[in-house]
Amino acid sequence: MRDTIQQPGARLPAVSPRGGRLGSQWWGRPGRGLQRTSEERLPQLVSALAGGALLTLGLRRGKLGGVAMALAGGGLLFRGTRTEQEPYVHKHGVIVRKLRRQRGRDATVELTVLQRSITIQGTPEALYRRWCDAETLNQVMGHFADVTSSGEGLQHWKVPGVLGAELEWDAEVVEENPGELLRWQSVGDTALPNEGWVRFRPAPRDWGTEVTLRFVFDPPGGVVGEKAVQLLGAVPAALALKALKRFKSLVETGEIPTTRPNPAAREGGYSF
Amino acid sequence: MRALCWNGINDLGVETVGDPRIVNPHDVILQVRMSTTCGSDLHFIDGYIPTMRKGDVIGHEFMGTVVEKGPAVKKVQVGDRVVVPSFIGCGSCWYCQHDLWSLCDNTNPKGELQEPLFGYQTAGIYGYTHAFGGYAGAHAQFVRVPHADNDCFRVPEGVTDEQALFLSDAVPTGYMGADFCDIQPGQTVAVWGCGGVGLMAQKAAFLLGAERVIGIDRFPERLKLAREKVGAETISYEEVDSVLDVLKELTGGRGPDACIDAVGMEAHGTGVGAAYDRAKQAMRLQTDRGQALRQAILACRKGGILSVVGVYGFMDAFPLGAIMNKGLTVRSAQQHGQKYLPRLLEHVVKGELDPSFLATHRFSLEDAPKGYELFKKKQDGCVRAVFLPN
Repeated sequence: MRDTIQQPGARLPAVSPRGGRLGSQWWGRPGRGLQRTSEERLPQLVSALAGGALLTLGLRRGKLGGVAMALAGGGLLFRGTRTEQEPYVHKHGVIVRKLRRQRGRDATVELTVLQRSITIQGTPEALYRRWCDAETLNQVMGHFADVTSSGEGLQHWKVPGVLGAELEWDAEVVEENPGELLRWQSVGDTALPNEGWVRFRPAPRDWGTEVTLRFVFDPPGGVVGEKAVQLLGAVPAALALKALKRFKSLVETGEIPTTRPNPAAREGGYSF
Repeated sequence: MRALCWNGINDLGVETVGDPRIVNPHDVILQVRMSTTCGSDLHFIDGYIPTMRKGDVIGHEFMGTVVEKGPAVKKVQVGDRVVVPSFIGCGSCWYCQHDLWSLCDNTNPKGELQEPLFGYQTAGIYGYTHAFGGYAGAHAQFVRVPHADNDCFRVPEGVTDEQALFLSDAVPTGYMGADFCDIQPGQTVAVWGCGGVGLMAQKAAFLLGAERVIGIDRFPERLKLAREKVGAETISYEEVDSVLDVLKELTGGRGPDACIDAVGMEAHGTGVGAAYDRAKQAMRLQTDRGQALRQAILACRKGGILSVVGVYGFMDAFPLGAIMNKGLTVRSAQQHGQKYLPRLLEHVVKGELDPSFLATHRFSLEDAPKGYELFKKKQDGCVRAVFLPN
């Protein structure tokens, strides 16, 4: 996938709000005549983050492709920061937020953006390889979804719900840069369109690798959308961090910590 | 199996619960030979530390025999007699690699419960609230020990169960508290608290080269142990007008070079500060009574070291001004037991350390609630109640 480096626009995680497949699907909603809202500013923030990442990656790479990346990254950084209209991010530097958006005439839905980082012992390359292992992903996401491989670059995600009200989608890998970034997005018809990416960057000294995971859930309007989001659990904001913690424990120790089952004087002698 | 369970505030009971199972590949199951009470248990028994659930098995200071092991366990063998530090360490994360075991990243499956209070999660502990992982405790016939190759330490022949038992928590906690003091020859160390941890901190201060060690408490039998078993000088804070003045007189007006708080959040005390704490804690306006800690901060010499190994939650009325203006260095942690266990076992084998005198009372598991009652009320000279679950 190294050749994609020459086309930086295609590398960006959910970055291009007006152009490209993802942009028009996710952010732009061209033709709807949206007013300039905080939701519209998000792409700038994403630009800034991704731009910063690209700049860093590009400068580290130190080759021609790297220079191109760095330039592209720098441009995006500029673009992302030129208007300071994202107070939340400036204050906290982390994105976990719900953006209300008008969908149709009456329905308002919430776009849920989750992003968290964790530092893990190991090289970016090794951690990337581990992430791409189908069984790893299933274990790591096990707290909220079953993930099975359904073909080359395809995964099937299933979030169990009560009374058969399950949430399912197929995800397709849309970008892969070994040792650096993997991005995927749901394809086809699903109650909860979503996308995500995971990024690996070397940490300072002997800390290993900084891993950042981002999910964007973009439900359709109305009751269907609300129900879909509810299936993600009471605290969807915890999803990303929990997944990262599970990944970290798995790669560092070979197991995910658990107390299930655990002796206790309740529920038949065990707590779960 | 039978196990001592928390059934509510000030309500402990021995119950029949399920046997622990191998859950993860690095687990072992221990048949518990001995377990003991710890002062930090009193904090959740009294209801000052949240996230206990009715029916939780408690106990985090123990030793036993390995009876079953998971497929990935390499060093530990079935039949080994081992002692286990209270904090569970994975051995692989950055913190374990740097010997900061109680800060392990990978052993608290419920770390999200800690993040609002601490910012980050710590390692898990056996039998000590769900915020600390929710692992079943060791006042039971059997206990599951994760990451056994890192966390089980074989007890050499000639070292008794009782000597090994306290290497699980009281000794490494006290030893670490003294280690924090960076003791130089000729220095004086004052230790607040003459319970298990405090007495071991005093002993460790001598082992690490302190010239004088001063133990502070109010119970005559504990002060006697400090004098006779450890060789410390003692101050009974109820018998003097001012601990600060006495410490100054004992040190030529300079104050102790290092002060160790081995008391924690339920300090008893005298005077206005103690009354303030007691009232606020009774109204659940704060979790901590901090008299001992405040006194240690005040007494410590300028530029000295304050070492905190007592357990705290969220204390107010904290005299930061004294710390700042006197240039104190504050060091603190839950015990990094795995760092200290090898050298502690060596001290015991060489006869330089024998913590078994802490075991003032023995009970069967069925009588464990009585043991806790005696321990909590410090009746009959109780320093530690030891349980024999099998």
